[in-house]
Amino acid sequence: MAAVAESDLPVASRRRRPFTRQRVGRAIAPYALMAPALLVLGVVLAYPLYKLVQMSFQKYGLSELIRHKGTWVGTANYSQILHDGEFWHVVLRTVLFTVAAVGLTMVLGTAIALLLLQVSKWMQIALTTGLVLVWSVPVIVAVDIWRWMIDYEFGVANWTLTKLHLGDFSRYDWFANPWTGFGVLTALVVWGAIPFVSITVYAGLAQVPKELLEAAAIDGARPWNTFREVTMPLLKPIFVILASLSIIWDFQVFQQLWIFLDGRPSPDYYTMAIYAFQKSFVIGEYGLGAAIAVVMVLLMFGATLVYLRQMLRTGEVH
Amino acid sequence: MKTRIMAAAILAVVLAAAASTASGGTSSAKATKIVVWLQNDAQSGWPEAVALANRLFKAQHPDVDVDVQYQTWGAHLQKFDAALAGGDAPDVIELGNSEMTKYMAAGAFKQLTQSAFPNNKTWLSGLKASSMYNGKLYGVPYYAGCRAVIYRKDQYRGAGIKGTPANLAQFVAAGKKLMKKYGKDQGYSALYFPGKYWYAGMGFVYDYGGQIAVRKNGKWKGTLNSPRALRGLTVLKATVHSLSRANKTGDEANPQQSLVFSKGKVGSFIGNGWEWPYALDDKLGNPGLAPVMGAYPMPSHIKGRSMPTFIGGSDLGVPVTTKNTSLAADWIKAFTGTAAESEIAKSGNIANTTKLLAYNASNPKLAPFAKAAKSGWFVPTSPNWTNVENANVLQNMLVKIFTGRASVKAAATSASAQITRILNTGA
Repeated sequence: MAAVAESDLPVASRRRRPFTRQRVGRAIAPYALMAPALLVLGVVLAYPLYKLVQMSFQKYGLSELIRHKGTWVGTANYSQILHDGEFWHVVLRTVLFTVAAVGLTMVLGTAIALLLLQVSKWMQIALTTGLVLVWSVPVIVAVDIWRWMIDYEFGVANWTLTKLHLGDFSRYDWFANPWTGFGVLTALVVWGAIPFVSITVYAGLAQVPKELLEAAAIDGARPWNTFREVTMPLLKPIFVILASLSIIWDFQVFQQLWIFLDGRPSPDYYTMAIYAFQKSFVIGEYGLGAAIAVVMVLLMFGATLVYLRQMLRTGEVH
Repeated sequence: MKTRIMAAAILAVVLAAAASTASGGTSSAKATKIVVWLQNDAQSGWPEAVALANRLFKAQHPDVDVDVQYQTWGAHLQKFDAALAGGDAPDVIELGNSEMTKYMAAGAFKQLTQSAFPNNKTWLSGLKASSMYNGKLYGVPYYAGCRAVIYRKDQYRGAGIKGTPANLAQFVAAGKKLMKKYGKDQGYSALYFPGKYWYAGMGFVYDYGGQIAVRKNGKWKGTLNSPRALRGLTVLKATVHSLSRANKTGDEANPQQSLVFSKGKVGSFIGNGWEWPYALDDKLGNPGLAPVMGAYPMPSHIKGRSMPTFIGGSDLGVPVTTKNTSLAADWIKAFTGTAAESEIAKSGNIANTTKLLAYNASNPKLAPFAKAAKSGWFVPTSPNWTNVENANVLQNMLVKIFTGRASVKAAATSASAQITRILNTGA
């Protein structure tokens, strides 16, 4: 995109065309074409975001909800959450979960993409079909399948582990300990996210010029070095985009956890999204919940800003 | 994504609110339909009572349809909040008796005239109290329920247990006999007790003289860490540890404990009256168990007494947003009249009026529960109590105790601190 714009600009500025109706039309056209999208964004994003921010400065509980009117409390909601020890625990837990889930997704997804390049055509079709199937399973169905697999009494996971003599896993409760519980939840989230990463990286790998790889091979580079020195730099923009998308998705993961834990997660399983939901829709403190949501948006914005800048820079280099 | 969904939900709520204010006041046209939200217990337990009420109502208002929508306990308050904000709440809603105060205090219900409702002089006092706020009536008692031990007579006989236990020690001894006889099967529990089952768990606390919270000089204080409550919790932990192999992080509704019982690997469980017939359901349960099932009040640690049981129940309210107040009241009258309430009692519940208590006492399937109801406990009557329930404070404490992640004392102390904070401040 950037490359096209740069080469076009000097040409356009050299030609001095008279101010005509046609030109005005051309100038307005892009905005007119964008208007419907902007309107939709305004209605479904900007206005709710404005209401969210407004609500975060109000006391908005059940009686305010019934009267449709909140009471202005300034930054009280914010100072309450920032001084709440539990909130910082939740932030830390969410960050750790995101790092683990994104890391695993990227590594496993790339590994599968590389595998796709090596295997026979039939295996390729089988693998891709498998990936697409995973991608197309609705979250609710996926969670139900996983719940049965790790069910404490009848689950195939406990049965298999016991049969493999890895210890007595009959009636082993994965959620009794938050670490194993989060292990299961991370596995579920990563499992669901791998197909998108694999298929995208695979598409990117197909674009890597064969000559470069051959040249590297002739120069005596080992596969790992070829991957690090040739493939990685070429695919960097794709990796950056995938990583930042994964961060956004995993940081605000909600459905999987919420459904898995029957909508009644114990505090050990609160991530930021669940914490915000708990405060607003369960306890009925909508102002407090809104403040948490705003903090969450800001945190995520900060994290993705770094990546966006990097992405733009990579774009400029090429 | 979630924030966006939340934001969108908030937007929807705001738009709906604007729409409702815009149309407010203009609808003096005759209503053709009223919407009633009942919990799904009625759907599975006493559909005849609902059908009867609808027939009675229809006879009185032939032009008005009744749309009964069934809700689940897990999500109904969230839906109700959203509907209140959107101005399209139902005309009649069922709330649990422990949920009423929060909504009455927030002004969610219309005030009702007691004398207009059937049997209003003989309403169960506990339920009536849960429908009153500042001396005004905002709800109509619907039904009450309490729990007793539902057990397998054949297994008791098989393990050589004579009669039913007269105190808690005998109950545990009987359970150990069952475990010895049938417990080689790793799926067997003499007492099926899932970890989050706080209604039954708190019975132990009250039995040893403890309480969840007390009110002193207008201030609430969580008291689960008092010596008496701690003793109850310690006995509970030991009892569950030796008799139950149920999921320590599970609850009594997922899966339904009476259905687990019906699969045969459970000697007993602490269940509501309606859970007995539910275990015999010909699709989900096992009708073959009918001749070998029995019930008795959960015994206290003091011989001859029964352990206090949670007096649960429901009330029916009319949300402030409705425009069909008198129609709503008429439907409630039909549903809480003697005829419909008899159907409700027949399904294993305690009717809303003392007039029907004799009916329970004379029926062998209901008598143990009616007897258990004589010794009951109830949650602290604070408008903020619902938030304690919604924050799962007690469930989380029990899970910590049963899984050994915290000592009884540490878990109870942290839960007490949380309860003190929520009851006094709401959050």
